[in-house]
Amino acid sequence: MMCVIKAENITKVFGDLEVLKNVSLEVDRGEVISIIGPSGSGKSTFLRCLQQLEEIDGGKIKIDDKKLGMIFQNLNLFPHKTVIENISEAPIIVNKMNREKAVKRGEELLKKVGLLDKKDDYPCDISGGQKQRVAIARALAMEPEILLFDEPTSALDPELVGEVLSVIKELAKDHMTMIIVTHEMAFAREVSDYIVFMDEGKIIEKAIPNKMFTNPDHPRIKVFLDKML
Amino acid sequence: MSYILNITGFILKGSIVTLKLYAVAIVFSIPLGIVGALGKTSNKKWLKNILEIYIWIIRGTPLLLQLFFVYFGLPVFGIKLGRFQAAAITFIINYGAYFTEIFRAGIESVDKGQYEAAKALGMNYKQTMRRIILPQAIKRVLPPTSNEAITLMKDTALVAAISMGDILRAAKEVLTRDFNVTPFIIAAIIYLLLTSVVVLVFKQLEKKYAIYE
Repeated sequence: MMCVIKAENITKVFGDLEVLKNVSLEVDRGEVISIIGPSGSGKSTFLRCLQQLEEIDGGKIKIDDKKLGMIFQNLNLFPHKTVIENISEAPIIVNKMNREKAVKRGEELLKKVGLLDKKDDYPCDISGGQKQRVAIARALAMEPEILLFDEPTSALDPELVGEVLSVIKELAKDHMTMIIVTHEMAFAREVSDYIVFMDEGKIIEKAIPNKMFTNPDHPRIKVFLDKML
Repeated sequence: MSYILNITGFILKGSIVTLKLYAVAIVFSIPLGIVGALGKTSNKKWLKNILEIYIWIIRGTPLLLQLFFVYFGLPVFGIKLGRFQAAAITFIINYGAYFTEIFRAGIESVDKGQYEAAKALGMNYKQTMRRIILPQAIKRVLPPTSNEAITLMKDTALVAAISMGDILRAAKEVLTRDFNVTPFIIAAIIYLLLTSVVVLVFKQLEKKYAIYE
C-alpha cells in the first residue's frame, strides 16, 4: 500500500486555544477513513489543515495538494453559475481543458450522481441534497486522488442525507481515497476501513469500524458512542 | 414654438459636452473603483493605507473645490490642463473613490466559503476574483452603483463653473440673453431624460443578474 497522506504532529492554535495537539495520521491509497468525535474536537480543523485552508502552527503534512478535492458542510456552490458551469469551471480555467470536453465530462459526472436533468438549473433551484451531489461532482471534475468531506450532510434536512451518503458509498466502491468527517455513525461504520476518534484536539484512537463501535480501548469513546447510537 | 425648438437645439449642443464628460468619467472611474476595491481587500497594509487617505480626502471635500483645484490650482505648480481634461480627471478621481468603497463592500459581502471552494478547486487569486467573487459582488453593488451613476450625470453640471459649454451653461446663456425661464425648464427635461436612460440601463442589468438567487 502506498501512503498518500502523511500528517505528522500537526498543531494548530487559534488565539489562546490549541485546537490540534500533535495530530498524526497516515492514509494509504484507496482507504476510506472516517473521523468522528464530539463537536469542537478539531475534526474539521484537521481536514482544513490538510487542504491548506488553515496554516498549521507545527508539524508536517506530506501530500500532493493538486490531487486533493474537498466537499464542504456549507455546500459552497457558486450561486451565479449553473450546475454544469459549477462543474466545468475549474477544469476550463485551472486545467485549461477545452470547454466542450469539460462540459461533456461534467455531464458524465452529473449522470453518475443522478442529476443530469438539472444541469442547466442554478443552485438556488435545487434541493440541499442535490446541491451537495453537485459539489461532489464538481470536486470529481478535477480528478482528485483524495477527497476530503467536511461534515457533508450536517447542513441537510434529514430526508436528504441518504442520497448524499449513497453517492459517497459509490465512490468508496470505486476505491477513491477519502477522509470523511461525519456524525453519521451507521454510515461511517459501513463505509470506512478505519475510524479515527478525535477528542480535544487529539486523535485518541484509530481502529477498524467493528472494534471502534463494539470494543473501543478508550472509555471516553464508549460514552460518546452510547449517546450517538 | 420655433423659439422653443431653436433654444432646445442650442441647449442640446451643450449636452454633447455633458455626455462626453459623462462617458469618459464612467469608463475610467468604474475600473479605478474595482482596482481600488481589490487593493482595499488585499492584505497589503501600505496599499490599504494609501487608499484610505485617498478616499478620506476625496469624500471629505467638495467636488467643486476639487475641480477648481485641478483647473485653477494645478497651474500654480506648472501643470496646465484644458477644461475638458481638468474636468475629466477630477470626475474620474472623485467617482473612483466612491466606487472603491461601494465595490469593497460588495467584495466583502461574498461568503468566505466561496474563496475556500475556489481554492479547493485549485484556482489562484486572480481566477478566484475574476470568475467567482467579482461576478457575485457586481450583482450586489448594482443598486448603489446606479445611484452614483445618476448623481454623476447631474454633477457634470458643475463644469459650468469653469466655463465649459455643457447643458446648464448653454441654458444659462439663453436665459441671460432672453430673460425667461424656458431654457431652464428645457435643461431640466434633458437631464431627466438622460438620467432616465441611466436608470433603465441599470434596471436591465439588475434583471439580467436576477436569474440566480
